[in-house]
Amino acid sequence: MVTKNYPDPKLNEKLRDRYYRRDQSNPDFTKETEKLAGSMAHMCYQCGTCTGGCPSAPRSTYRIREFMRRGVLGLEEEALTDPDLWLCTTCYSCTDRCPRDLAPTDVIMAMRNLAFRRDIVPVNFLKTVQAIYASGHGVPNNDTNRAAREKLGLTRDPPTTHMYPEYIKGIQKILDHYKLKENADRIVKEREG
Amino acid sequence: MAEAVSPTTSEKPKAPRIGVYVCHCGTNIAGSIDINAVKEYAKTLPNVAVVDDYQYMCSTPGQGKIETAIKEQGLTGIVVAACSPRLHEPTFRTATKEGGLNPFRFEMANIREQNSWVHMHDQAGATEKAKDAVRIAVAKATLLEDLYPKTVPVEHAAMVVGAGVAGMQAALDLANSGIKTYLIEKAPTIGGRMSQLDKTFPTLDCSQCILTPKMVDVGRSENIVLMVNAEVEEVQGYIGNFDVTIRRKATGVLSPKEAEARGIVGGGCTGCGDCAPVCPVTKPNIFEMGMAPRKAIYIYHPQVVPLLYTIDWDACVKCGLCVEACGTKQAIDLEMKDELVQVKVGTVILATGYEVFPIENKEEWGYKRYENVISSLEFERLICASGPTGGHLVRPSDGATPKRIAFVLCAGSRDSTGVGKAYCSRFCCMYSLKHAHQIMEKIPGAVPYIFYMDIRSFGKAYEEFYYRIQDEGAKFIRGRVSNIQEDPDTKNLRVYAEDTLLGRPMEIEVDMVVLAAAVQPTELTNKTRKLFGVSCSQDGWLLEAHPKLNPCGTTTAGVFVAGACQSPKDIPDSVASAEGAASAASIPIHRGEVELEPYYAMCVEDKCAGCGMCVNLCPYSALALVEKDGRTVMQVTEAKCKGCGTCGGFCPGGAIWMNHFATPQIVAQIDAFLLGGEQ
Amino acid sequence: MNADRKYAFYLGCIAPNRYPGSEAASIRTSKKLGIDLVPLEGASCCPAPGAFGSIDLNVWYAMAARNIVLAEQKGLDIALVCNGCYKSIYEVNHKLKHDKALREGVNEVLKEIDMEFKGTIDVWHLGELLYDPEIVGVEKIRESVKVPLKGVKIAVHYGCHLLKPKKERHLGSTENPMWVEELVEALGAETVQYRNKMQCCGAGGGVRGYDLAHALDITNEKLTNMVEAGAEAVVDLCPFCQLQFDRGQIEIEEKFGIKYDMPVFHYAELLGLAQGMNPSELALDLHAINTEPFLKKVL
Repeated sequence: MVTKNYPDPKLNEKLRDRYYRRDQSNPDFTKETEKLAGSMAHMCYQCGTCTGGCPSAPRSTYRIREFMRRGVLGLEEEALTDPDLWLCTTCYSCTDRCPRDLAPTDVIMAMRNLAFRRDIVPVNFLKTVQAIYASGHGVPNNDTNRAAREKLGLTRDPPTTHMYPEYIKGIQKILDHYKLKENADRIVKEREG
Repeated sequence: MAEAVSPTTSEKPKAPRIGVYVCHCGTNIAGSIDINAVKEYAKTLPNVAVVDDYQYMCSTPGQGKIETAIKEQGLTGIVVAACSPRLHEPTFRTATKEGGLNPFRFEMANIREQNSWVHMHDQAGATEKAKDAVRIAVAKATLLEDLYPKTVPVEHAAMVVGAGVAGMQAALDLANSGIKTYLIEKAPTIGGRMSQLDKTFPTLDCSQCILTPKMVDVGRSENIVLMVNAEVEEVQGYIGNFDVTIRRKATGVLSPKEAEARGIVGGGCTGCGDCAPVCPVTKPNIFEMGMAPRKAIYIYHPQVVPLLYTIDWDACVKCGLCVEACGTKQAIDLEMKDELVQVKVGTVILATGYEVFPIENKEEWGYKRYENVISSLEFERLICASGPTGGHLVRPSDGATPKRIAFVLCAGSRDSTGVGKAYCSRFCCMYSLKHAHQIMEKIPGAVPYIFYMDIRSFGKAYEEFYYRIQDEGAKFIRGRVSNIQEDPDTKNLRVYAEDTLLGRPMEIEVDMVVLAAAVQPTELTNKTRKLFGVSCSQDGWLLEAHPKLNPCGTTTAGVFVAGACQSPKDIPDSVASAEGAASAASIPIHRGEVELEPYYAMCVEDKCAGCGMCVNLCPYSALALVEKDGRTVMQVTEAKCKGCGTCGGFCPGGAIWMNHFATPQIVAQIDAFLLGGEQ
Repeated sequence: MNADRKYAFYLGCIAPNRYPGSEAASIRTSKKLGIDLVPLEGASCCPAPGAFGSIDLNVWYAMAARNIVLAEQKGLDIALVCNGCYKSIYEVNHKLKHDKALREGVNEVLKEIDMEFKGTIDVWHLGELLYDPEIVGVEKIRESVKVPLKGVKIAVHYGCHLLKPKKERHLGSTENPMWVEELVEALGAETVQYRNKMQCCGAGGGVRGYDLAHALDITNEKLTNMVEAGAEAVVDLCPFCQLQFDRGQIEIEEKFGIKYDMPVFHYAELLGLAQGMNPSELALDLHAINTEPFLKKVL
């Protein structure tokens, strides 16, 4: 990247260097993405079948094909800081149809994993982690539901970690092994104070 | 231990003096192997008289070294440690011969493909392995003997299997060079796929118009014996002497010649067509891709060669109405049976063409589910003036003329999912451009949308054709079609793709979709190739002898390939490959004889017990038991023997000698490898 | 497959905690059709594949494996009623059975909680068990119907993770399946084919939480297409899709000003109704979109 350092910050931004230069590529990013995804992203020949069937593409700037391209070229910064990374619904239509037998959905998941390692993650994911740490459920029970369950002849709490909270420790151990709760709490605090 | 000499040798062998030559092959070998170390090692081996090295042994000076040394040093055998014998064994055998030695006293040690090229990072290991290879080769060279290739006569006739444009061209070339050629075709007519096409790119010639003169030539050629409705049933023999059994399927219809042979004067099928109208059974005509009917007694189209009707026995109900209608010509015989014909030919060309991949297997495009999604060959028939709609492109759902037509390229090709084909089908880009042109020409206001990944317009005048079609107004969208959906009311199609150049997803509604479907080899090709002992490559197409230097030959001597059956080809390439195959196939025939490598088995009659167990083991039926001087012994038909070693390895009495791979020679190699070390 | 048709019922989160009628219906209707669904004590979130897979795949494998091991310990195959849970539980089960390195890595973590994935059970979606003629089949379902659901047109939403990607599933066509329509028609109802029927509901991958409007726009497209085809109700095989279509309609009205009033059912709920279960036994009043008009038509 060539930095221009013009005194006017607006001009500096407007005229910033947009060339692709080799120093923007990180080959480790490609390797790491492929390993996590379990798919040879570097074999993508940019046919566009993935984007052609993507439900998110027609209503946003999200382009799965471009994310594959970034994977191929090792454009780590662009990929991980693009907010569109989180618009994939993981419907797997692209993976189903890819003629090179790649899994673009898994590439997105891999990139999201790598983004998380940099604390780049929307807060709703972290809230889910916290809920699971507390109760074992991403969508926990509530009293309206308990009443309804009782009327149906079911136990007020389902026979999950709700009814057997002793199992929650095990779940917490798993989450702690990967420091997930710790990181989730930290990032939530940084964002929401 | 077996005798060290072949049973036919009468001379007492001279003391062996072997010349060893180590080739650098530039840096190919010298880059991984210490040539000097190998040389020094060779000097320590028993029976080695001369050791030398050179940059390129295959060059004239390199070969000269061998020739000179044989003459001046009285060598009895030559070892060259270099590349694979597949490349230069003939070169060094010739050099050996030029030096005055029998060429089969030469042994090659492959220290390149099987050594320096695969052990580039282990120089020490590679060098040790090269020493082993030289030691083994020297051990064998010490025991090699004079051998004389056998010459067999070549039958002055050839066979071409498949009468599409490639098969026809090959047959015409062979016939015109004076060779009687059997042209075998499975369909009732010659012409193949080219007959089904409307126009040809890039010239936009009418396909049938340029093909029919060739069809007529084939029909009229005195040197071509045309057999339609015929398939190869069995193949015996070897180059120069193939015994081929052909099954001529019963057509139920007599040609004028056949009628005459039966004593029916002035009879036989004239192609008048009186039979078809009275036939009660209707079936789809596969020439029209199932889009037009034909009767149980039928011809594909009015220009068939030969002009003879055929009966489809699966459809015929033997009502006999056609016999009545045929009248005095008496051309129909409902009791006709298949006929097996045996012919002898010197060489064979396989030109069995292609078929379309079952594109319904790629469900995302809706073929066979949506009426208005058709394949490219179906489009050809619809747009062709002699086709089922008289050349009017209509929508199958309602007969309306489509204005907006999408062309889906790479449909089923370049596909690594395991459902489609991994390869590119080569001609679909070009015919899709052609199709786009045709609809713009025939239907005013029609807009073709070409969805592509790449436009492969590789041939002469092809890029210019692409330019022209873009200029004429075809819309090119660089994006592979993701999926297609049908509007249940209008039966229009919605094509989903991304314009990757714009970066925008597209939903384009069209009236009709043409899938440029992949092509694949036919089932019958697979069956036929096995009869001739021809391999196929990983992609299923027939395997050429060498993709660059021998694209028309196969590794089976005397069998050649032409046209699309080797790999997808357009018409110019099919014709060119046919001419190439015909030229190659005519050489042994014109020479009249062919040399067979003398690797055949020999019976050591003193030891042969006449048990006959080897006879049934031979995969080439080359062995037989004969009476000789009151004893039963085995005898080899040398021309049939391929030297595979099955009998030699099996014989419990050690009574079979495999020329050039004899037991003592092989044992010497094994001993040299396992027991010999640093001398 | 279990010979006596007994399965560990893996519940997930949304079915038991938001649409308990699906849970009750699944148990009752399965019983009638010869399938015994027994509780899987201590199960947790599968974990939600979009939410967890996005941040740390290792955690996703380990947590899913833990749920599977609970069933292994009971010696029972798992039956579940949610496409999302299917992706987590079925796929992780399959991957761990065939990838030694992955399995060893997961077992390293499970060792900390005295568990070990052995790969001894299989995972099934209740829908496929109901469709399989060797287990239940469309005919048996038809025979078990007491209240044919006549007089309504129903649109089937297949969802995504049940069938896709087809190279990692075994449930047939992903472009034009018709087997769930068969299951619905066995209840006496009429199904409609609508535009782009295989499209995602929009909720997955964490998008419902990250950008609700975006997710709802996708749902809106589906609802528009369903209405255009004459659908009067939606049936699904996934409680998350159900949530997206059901509560989503309230949210669509808020955000986009469009009202559909299209009731949304899990197949189990419809099956329950058809087999004569009372709407009160299905907690249909918990649905965001009123199911009364629909019930009036069919009952």
